[in-house]
Amino acid sequence: MQNVTMKSKAACLFLLLSLLFMGMDGNGQEQNERDELLKQQKVLKEKIETLRREQDFLLFERALYATDSKYLIINLGAKKGQLKYKNRVLKDFRFTASANLADNALKPGTVTLTKKKEDPGQRHVLLFGKSLVILWKPPASSPYAKNIPRISLSKGDFQSIFYAIEEGAKAYLMK
Amino acid sequence: MTPSPGWAGEATAPATIDALRDQLHAMEQEAAVLEEENLGMMRMLKEMEDNDVYLVVDTESNRLMMRQRSKILLTAVVGTGSRQFVKEETGRNWYFETPTGSLTVLGKERNPVWIRPDWSYVEENMPVPPENDPDRIVRGVLGKYALILGKGYKIHGTKYTELLGTHFTHGCISVGDKDLETLYRSVKIGTKVYIY
Repeated sequence: MQNVTMKSKAACLFLLLSLLFMGMDGNGQEQNERDELLKQQKVLKEKIETLRREQDFLLFERALYATDSKYLIINLGAKKGQLKYKNRVLKDFRFTASANLADNALKPGTVTLTKKKEDPGQRHVLLFGKSLVILWKPPASSPYAKNIPRISLSKGDFQSIFYAIEEGAKAYLMK
Repeated sequence: MTPSPGWAGEATAPATIDALRDQLHAMEQEAAVLEEENLGMMRMLKEMEDNDVYLVVDTESNRLMMRQRSKILLTAVVGTGSRQFVKEETGRNWYFETPTGSLTVLGKERNPVWIRPDWSYVEENMPVPPENDPDRIVRGVLGKYALILGKGYKIHGTKYTELLGTHFTHGCISVGDKDLETLYRSVKIGTKVYIY
């Protein structure tokens, strides 16, 4: 009789342990699935960001096609730019970037030319608010060259662009 | 442009797996919508583009480019307006500048003839003849070809090839003989000319 009781106790214990281990295994599966879903989420998030940036640029190009003004496309990564009018390229140019521009100081998107600074005897400057300065071979003492990210063009390219665009002109920065 | 369906742009880990699946689904939908919209816009922008050759004149660097889409078919050193004034004793004056903006090739000429305008006589301190005076007709100074841009402006040849690359004209765009021939053969009436 005592033997039978012992056997049923052992069976109960076995059953309980099995249930416990099964539960633990279920939790592990759930964690794996959760990790997998989070990974997918991260990938999707990056994809959506890329698509949004792409859309932003396409909207810019579409909007500028409808206007009568020239605009700039500045590829910060490739250090190349274009002067465009109604989606047609008028000029290609290359530039060098200041150190603070290389530190990801600028976000992709649209900036507006707020000031064409034309000081007699000094080098001209194109100011895009407090976001960006375009000039040629920056003079060491330029007050604009200190904090604002800047790009420098060759004299010829800069002169062409300086007289081609008006205040209010748009530039699109892309990485 | 695209409303965020559900996940509101922030990927924070939700409490349950089901909630996470819902969030992923919403993100997949948003990505699909964005992709479709971008594709549509790209197609639209592509349709706006054309295969037409167009000319670009940079009056600062005195360069002309013939372009087609992203290709540069020709780069020519040209002469543009001198940016100088000529004054007549009567008070009339002229400023010689190449017009900027979006122009169109309105016509093509072989062996163009120059009809000397008044300023040409004033510039040389000569008496200005009557408007239809045959003296005004000068042959052989504009090269073999000319592309007419309207309002008296043309892209034409020049005898002063040594001045190409400088601002020396009275507003027209002067081109060397070889480049002029290429332009004449490649450009059609209606071709766009962007001058800046």
